[in-house]
Amino acid sequence: MTPPLRVAVAGKGGAGKSLIAGTMARLLARRGHRVLVLDSDPMPGVAITLGLGPLGEPMLAEAVEKDADGRWRLKKGIGAARAVNRFAFTAPDGVRLLQSGKATADGLATIMGSISGFNYVAHRLAADGVLRAWSIVGDLPAGTRQAAFGWAPYAHRFLVIVEQTWPSALTARRVIRLARSRGDVDVWLVANKVDDRNALTVIEERVGEKVAACVPDDAAARDADRDGVALLDRSPDAAAVRAISALTERLIDSTR
Amino acid sequence: MRIGVAGKGGSGKTTVAGTLARVLGRRDGQVLALDSDTNPMLGVSLGLGPEVTDLLVAVRQGLESGDTEHQPTIEGILETFGRAGPDGVRLVVVNRIDQIDPGCP
Repeated sequence: MTPPLRVAVAGKGGAGKSLIAGTMARLLARRGHRVLVLDSDPMPGVAITLGLGPLGEPMLAEAVEKDADGRWRLKKGIGAARAVNRFAFTAPDGVRLLQSGKATADGLATIMGSISGFNYVAHRLAADGVLRAWSIVGDLPAGTRQAAFGWAPYAHRFLVIVEQTWPSALTARRVIRLARSRGDVDVWLVANKVDDRNALTVIEERVGEKVAACVPDDAAARDADRDGVALLDRSPDAAAVRAISALTERLIDSTR
Repeated sequence: MRIGVAGKGGSGKTTVAGTLARVLGRRDGQVLALDSDTNPMLGVSLGLGPEVTDLLVAVRQGLESGDTEHQPTIEGILETFGRAGPDGVRLVVVNRIDQIDPGCP
C-alpha cells in the first residue's frame, strides 16, 4: 500500500475540476486506497463525475447541533471518522463522498449547519486516527475564495486545473499564488482540454508556470458532461481517462 | 434596466454580461457593469484585456487598504473605482479575493 494522497483541486469554473477530482478518486480506490472526496462546492459537480448523479441533501445536517454560544459543532460522540462513516455517500469503487451541502432556492441559510460540520471534519482529517490513513481528494468551488480562506487545510498538494482561455489562466495564477503563500503546499498546474502543442505553450505563457500534466480535449468528456454521467463509466478507455490515470500514477509515485 | 446574470461556472455568465453591457452602452451610452465575482473577470469580456483586468482595484480592497479616501456617495465610489471601458460602459469591481485571509476577527 502506498502512502495516502491529500490533494485539493482548484481552478476556474468549467476548467474540469470535478472531472479530474472524481475520476482520480475512483482510480485511487481501484489502486487500493481508502478514498474520501470532500466536495465544498455549493453547486453540483463531483457527485456526477463519481457516478452518483446529483445529490441534494445537506449531508451533515443531522450530525451537528448548536452550542450554548449559538455556534455549530458536531454532536457529542461524533468525531470526524464517525461523521464520514455515517454521513458520507458511498460512490462506485468504494469512494466515500462528503458534501458541505448544496444551495437551494432558499440560499445557503438552510445548510449552514452542514457546512460548519463539513469544515470541522476538513480541519481534523490529518489528526484523526482512522482518516489520516485515507487519501483525500478535495473538489473546491470555482475561483479563489476557498483557497484564500483555507478550506483545504488537509492538502499537501494543489492541482490547479487550467484551460486555454485568459480567464482560466488568470484564475490559475491567482490560485497558485494563494496556495504557495501557505508555504507547505506543492502546486501542480494541470492543463485540461489540450488540443495541440501550441495550447500548452499559450497556457504556460499566460499562467507564467510550467504545466505539470496534460489532459487532452476529449469529445467523450463533453458527452459525459452533457448527459450527467461519469466519464469513467461511460467511456473507460477515453483519452482523458488515460491521462488522468497517468497523472494519478505520478502523484502516487511522488508521494512514496 | 437593472440585470443580474447568474449560473454555473464556465457556462458563460461573464461573456453574456459583458456583451450585454456593451450592446446596451451602444444604445444608451451609459451603463454600469458591476463585477461581483470575487475572482473578477468581467473586464476581459468587456474588452479591457486580461492584464488590465488583473490589476483593477476592487472597492472593498481599495477602501480597506486606506490608500483611498472613503467616498460618502455612490457616485463618488463609482467615480473613484470605476474604470471606463468601450461603448460608454463603466466597470466597477466590488471585491476581489486574491490574498490569504489572515483570519483576524
